[in-house]
Amino acid sequence: MPVPIVNYVALGSFMFFIGVIGVLVRRNPLIILMSIELMFNAANLLFIAFARVWLQNAGHIFAFLVITVAAAEAAIGLAIVVTTFRSEKNVDVDEVRSLRG
Amino acid sequence: MTYPLLLALWLAPLASAVICWAFGPQLRTRSGWLASGFVALSFALAVASWPAGTQSAGGALGAHQRLFSWGPGFDFGLLLDPLSLLWTYIITGVGFLIVFYSIGYMDGDRAFARFFAYMSFFVFAMLTLVLSDNFVGLLVGWGLVGLASYFLIGFWFDRPSAVAAARKAFVINVVGDVGVMFAIALIVANVHSIGFSDTFAGAATFSSGLLFAICLALFIGAAAKSAQVPLHTWLPDAMEGPTPVSALIHAATMVTAGVYLVARCAPLWSRNPEAQLLVGTIGGLTALLGAILGTAQWDIKRILAYSTMSQIGYMIMGVGVGAYEGGVAHFFTHAFFKAQLFLTSGLIIHALSDEQDIRRMGGLWKRMPFAFWAMLTGVLSICGFPGFSGFFSKDEVIYGALQHGHPWLYAVGILTAGITAYYMFRLLFITFLGEYRGEAGTPHGHAPAWIMNAPVAILVVPSVAIGAALMIGGDSSPWARFFAPLFAPQALLAPSPAATPPLSEGLTSVIVLICVAVGFAVAWYRYATPVAQADAVERLRSETAHMPPVLTNLFYVDAAIDLIFVQSAQFLGTISGRVVDPAVLDGAVREAAFSAGWLGAVVRSFQTGLVRAYALLLVAGAAGFIVYYALAGTAH
Repeated sequence: MPVPIVNYVALGSFMFFIGVIGVLVRRNPLIILMSIELMFNAANLLFIAFARVWLQNAGHIFAFLVITVAAAEAAIGLAIVVTTFRSEKNVDVDEVRSLRG
Repeated sequence: MTYPLLLALWLAPLASAVICWAFGPQLRTRSGWLASGFVALSFALAVASWPAGTQSAGGALGAHQRLFSWGPGFDFGLLLDPLSLLWTYIITGVGFLIVFYSIGYMDGDRAFARFFAYMSFFVFAMLTLVLSDNFVGLLVGWGLVGLASYFLIGFWFDRPSAVAAARKAFVINVVGDVGVMFAIALIVANVHSIGFSDTFAGAATFSSGLLFAICLALFIGAAAKSAQVPLHTWLPDAMEGPTPVSALIHAATMVTAGVYLVARCAPLWSRNPEAQLLVGTIGGLTALLGAILGTAQWDIKRILAYSTMSQIGYMIMGVGVGAYEGGVAHFFTHAFFKAQLFLTSGLIIHALSDEQDIRRMGGLWKRMPFAFWAMLTGVLSICGFPGFSGFFSKDEVIYGALQHGHPWLYAVGILTAGITAYYMFRLLFITFLGEYRGEAGTPHGHAPAWIMNAPVAILVVPSVAIGAALMIGGDSSPWARFFAPLFAPQALLAPSPAATPPLSEGLTSVIVLICVAVGFAVAWYRYATPVAQADAVERLRSETAHMPPVLTNLFYVDAAIDLIFVQSAQFLGTISGRVVDPAVLDGAVREAAFSAGWLGAVVRSFQTGLVRAYALLLVAGAAGFIVYYALAGTAH
């Protein structure tokens, strides 16, 4: 007996909100990046789940796309973190505020 | 009939202008001889063109030379008929004498060649004006003579007064150009052609309102060019130019362009009595006003300028009321005697080292007998002494006004003749009689060279005799027969005059002569009697002091124009500069800049640089969208 779709949606939403809360409350950029990954994967989970429900492959394809983008995003994000650390000697996102208008 | 010789006649002065302008430094004084030669060549060609200009083969009067075409109705060409032939004779003939005279007058000027380039250019422009067979060509000439006049009035451009006078003349002339332009627009809209012949043929179908509008627009041009009230104020100021310029442009030729225009457009005016009344009245008013103002001047050239204005008023009155032959005749004789008067005044000014105030002259007949006799014949001619040229032409104009049913203009003409005699003899007496009132010591004036005397001597002949030679005999005179093919058809168009005039032409002459005699007597009594001579210096000074303010202020015309146009334009400019520009134009720009800054300040307050705050905004935005679509979804 297959797992009902509502369970996937509940799990996906839960993971997503964990990611959102993580981005909003944590000050370590590495943790923030991990939280973003969590949100990506919540979205991926829902793509796959709904692809199974509607029996369409578009969801699978989107999941691959998201994984690709997530990889790129992680690479750029880590590069920014490293660069910031080099120039500011600090990676606390509340302390790095040189972009304030 | 094509007539290629016309091209040579027309372009010779242009060639002279180009050569004098391009090779001035090399030519130096030879440029004067060169310019005289080219203008004389033009005159010779004009004389040779007499048979071509007066013949009427195949129904078309005169010689015609096609130039080029812009399309149907827009043909450009040259036309030499009796009217343009007459003007060509004056422009090139009198023009030659004046250019020749200038060789002596401008001797030693540092811009000698430039002067002759301008003079030749003026002759070319004036020939363009009178030889053109269409309105656009006429307008081109019309504008170019204004430009030449601007150059020559402002010839001594290191004098601020000359520059101001040149600018004033140019601006007022352009007002006239715009008038002619409007007329051309009306003509093209109605006959789809710019040619004179097409226009005059089409004029029969014009409504009287349209005809009046065209005549009015043309007359604005004529009034500006010919110094008619109220656009006359530039002419006295134009005397800032060298004296030969005053003689050629501001007496003999350019200022009579308005007379030419009205005479040329006789088929338009003859069909519209209202336009005739308007032009005749303005002409009469100008004649009277110019004469009155002439009595109150002390500058020898300004007296002559007002007299020119007054005499052109006569011409305009003549052609305006329909006495075309009379008006043109007065142009013809006036060109001689006024050029002669100006050139004679140039002799005096030259001899007295640029002194122009007649109060500092006096007693000159002993030192300059030639100038005295030349001035005397000119004065007698302008006053209409019997037998002199002015006598015939002026009486023809005055009597023409009565013949065509304008008794008031007739009376004004007679009155003006009396005032003319007064101010001209006043000029003569103050300048030549009595004792010399200039600076003490020997005036370092030198006797004018033959090069300046000869043209004056030549001009004396026509200004004395040409009237008697051509204008005796009424309708069978050579003059009347010359113009009969051109103007006789116009007489049929105009409504026939009421009846036989109550006064005959002979009686008119007698009345005019009585007025002239009175004017002469008053001038004699005031300036020439031994009593008047005895304390002349004191008298002239007190006369200045007691002159009525209306005369010293020149009838407030300048002041009125200043108030209505100049001041109001300046007021508008001040309003624009002080209110409209800073508040509206600058204000809009400044407000745009300020609001961009304000918007930036608002948006900047979001840019905290705090990454987590951005994230919160993102989340809040996303949440907002979700809530919105969720609600929108439930609404359906």
